[in-house]
Amino acid sequence: MISGKEIAHEAARRVLARSKGAQGRSFELVAESVFHERERLMRNPHGRASEADRAFVEGIARQLGAIGADGLLEDIVRRYAHEIEGRFDPKVYGFATRVLPLGLTALLNGTRARDALFRVPELRSLSDRVSISGETAPLARLARLGTLVFTPTHVSNLDSLLFGYTIFRMGLPPVAYGAGLNLFESRTLGYFMHHLGAYSVDRSKTDPLYRAVLKEYATVLLERGEHGLFFPGGTRSRSFAVESKLKKGLLGTTLAAYRNNLVAGRAKPKVFVVPVTCSYPLVLEGYSLAEEYLLRAGREKYIPHDDDGSDNARFWLSFFEKLLALDAEVHVRFGAALDPFGNRVDADGTSRDPRGRPIDPAGYLEQRGRITEDPTRDQAYTEILEREIVRAYHRDNIAMPTWLLAFAALEQHRRGREGHDVFRLLRELVRGTRLPIEPVRALFNEALDELKLLEGAERVALSDELRGDKSAAFDRAIACFATWHKDPVLRVKDSWLIVGEPSLLYYYRNRLEGLGLLSAPSLLPAEVQ
Amino acid sequence: MSGPFDAPIAVLGAGNWGTVLAHLAAQSGHEVRLWSRDAAQTHEINTTRRNSRAIASLEIDPRVRGESDLGAAVDGAAMVVVVIPAQAFREVARKLGDVLDPRQIVLHATKGLELRSHRRMSEVLEEETCARQVGVLSGPNIAAEIAEGLPAGTVVTSRFPHVVKAGKQVFTSGRFMVFGASDVVGVELCGALKNVVAIAAGIASGMHIGENAMALLVTRGLAEITALASAMGARPGTLAGLAGAGDLMVTCRSQHSRNHRVGEALAKGETLERAVARLGMVAEGVTTSIAARELAIEHGIECPVLDSVHRILHEGVAPTDALEALLRMRAGRDVAWA
Repeated sequence: MISGKEIAHEAARRVLARSKGAQGRSFELVAESVFHERERLMRNPHGRASEADRAFVEGIARQLGAIGADGLLEDIVRRYAHEIEGRFDPKVYGFATRVLPLGLTALLNGTRARDALFRVPELRSLSDRVSISGETAPLARLARLGTLVFTPTHVSNLDSLLFGYTIFRMGLPPVAYGAGLNLFESRTLGYFMHHLGAYSVDRSKTDPLYRAVLKEYATVLLERGEHGLFFPGGTRSRSFAVESKLKKGLLGTTLAAYRNNLVAGRAKPKVFVVPVTCSYPLVLEGYSLAEEYLLRAGREKYIPHDDDGSDNARFWLSFFEKLLALDAEVHVRFGAALDPFGNRVDADGTSRDPRGRPIDPAGYLEQRGRITEDPTRDQAYTEILEREIVRAYHRDNIAMPTWLLAFAALEQHRRGREGHDVFRLLRELVRGTRLPIEPVRALFNEALDELKLLEGAERVALSDELRGDKSAAFDRAIACFATWHKDPVLRVKDSWLIVGEPSLLYYYRNRLEGLGLLSAPSLLPAEVQ
Repeated sequence: MSGPFDAPIAVLGAGNWGTVLAHLAAQSGHEVRLWSRDAAQTHEINTTRRNSRAIASLEIDPRVRGESDLGAAVDGAAMVVVVIPAQAFREVARKLGDVLDPRQIVLHATKGLELRSHRRMSEVLEEETCARQVGVLSGPNIAAEIAEGLPAGTVVTSRFPHVVKAGKQVFTSGRFMVFGASDVVGVELCGALKNVVAIAAGIASGMHIGENAMALLVTRGLAEITALASAMGARPGTLAGLAGAGDLMVTCRSQHSRNHRVGEALAKGETLERAVARLGMVAEGVTTSIAARELAIEHGIECPVLDSVHRILHEGVAPTDALEALLRMRAGRDVAWA
């Protein structure tokens, strides 16, 4: 296992070599860095390590002009690399995985381990609730033939836990991943995060130099055969809609690592990208995400309600307990492995064209017989990879009864209000609004029939609950909605469905957006789709 | 070899446009292999420098070699240019997939959409081959004029800038300007959908309804294809460029345009079957009109001109009745962004 220090050193060396190569650019880069860091510190004056950061930035600013910019540039880049670097300790991993799922759960969510330990018996049974499916068989072999990069959908802070638990259960090797700085805040948690292969990502940093070091760090990790985990959506999907745009910078590291491996003549140069979907019937922090999304999308058009506190990560234990009591399943589905150009890869690590013919992907990078680096070309390849991952996300998005009921209920409300935008629709859908149950049920059944056809066209997948009796699936959704959120999203009273939290109704229906169900128009505002 | 590429260029499809493109690439100094499945045709090219069935007037550059073996045509080529009618495109693309290498650049110069699937030709290439470095060549290009050496321009588009550059290098000459673009969806949809408007223009021309009416029909047609293409992901500005308005102008006016000729024949009372048979070549607009109608419905775009062409071609409506119905429609906004 390569040390984080070594990887950070190499990442910094590359960024510096590239920056210094551009004649006279050092001054400009340092000045730009100071500008971005000052802006960040003004935006967030009391953040983690902000005092030390401020002292460093002002020190750089004072020296700029007095001494050569090359040295300052080196100081900045090396500091960033050091901040990012993670370590992996097999002993720590062994310890953590022995107490899974609660171990990682506690670590990743900042809950005190002692709280978690009291609940071991209940949480053990979590393993029965995680359904693992899809193209899992070739993964162990591919992990030996090259470097795996898992790229899951992202809706909840529980995703990294769920995923870590999933690969542990499958017997796959651990993965390195970039985790938000907040997870490093506590000393104990930070210690574990570092030793479990996580490297830190500070999303508040806008300095292009920081981004360059981060990208290079991820690239070097992959080159050295460290399996990786990226959430290519960049952040949790606030709307709950399946991601349709991914962060190409991070995705592009897969191609960069493959290309660098070919040039260096490494024995196992291949990088395999594995799309993964995580599907939950309910989302732990659904309410706060939905509110945040509507606020951002609607600005003054959306008036938020009081927070009910369900976004607090400390509630995760009770969240799981309730899911367990309900016998609900969380699904993790693996798509077919892809090469960095979006071609499918077989169990032997060979890339295949759409008709299954073997191809040598190195050819995509050749010009006049040599492997070349061409950023615009490589970005275009990464766009193709993005498209293929997004297709896999939709194909393997396992539709849940809750989503379908939310879709049908909101559609019932929308009909008769043609032309209203989503904000107006939600303003007219206050808590306690009554929707007639039978028309909603009819829409639910109709949309379910459509979903079945769409599954045949590989545009969505169905959970087992949606394959059985329609009426049972409908009741299941009602029961599920009563489980977690403060007010049931929908509950039955006589022949009516009573709306609990409208933003949640909207949130859950969005997971089925883009399929054209019930000929309903898109309810995602265009600028934030 | 004096062209920018050391390796040969392969052109698949020895119709009039494929032959002219092969000739242009050869004139810029490249060794060119012109593939046709018809061995007699390639034999004629190699022995007489003529392709009498497609474009008899052109004396084909000696650097063009006719080739009836697809593998031999594609092997080692730096660029493969596919110029096959839209409805036969997938079949050839699938065979191409057997012999194509990831290193190779693939351009296509086919203006049409696949029936039923509504796929653009670049999508068909990506579904049938390992090609990633794909580009499109499209514009106001009457093959016969270019063969005569008359000046013209075209557009090469790709998401890969080096593919655009390669297309420019291979086809640019003193009489042929090649412009670059990056809107693949827009250029492909322009090339396909304008053929349907060209049929409408041909019908108007055959009915002698005057230049004002012609302008009315063609610009309304352009507004419709702009709305439809934009809904499908094209950048609206592309429609105003060479591959959009430029191609529409030539195809709606020129007697060389096959689609225009089909429209004219229909206006004079000929049946579709007879008009197409007399043409002896594929008029892409006839089949594209079906795809265009289905797409307009799918995307919820009102397209009365495209719809009228469909009704005339495939529902047996008389051109005069379709025109009357068009004129009775409510006149809404001129263009969506006005």
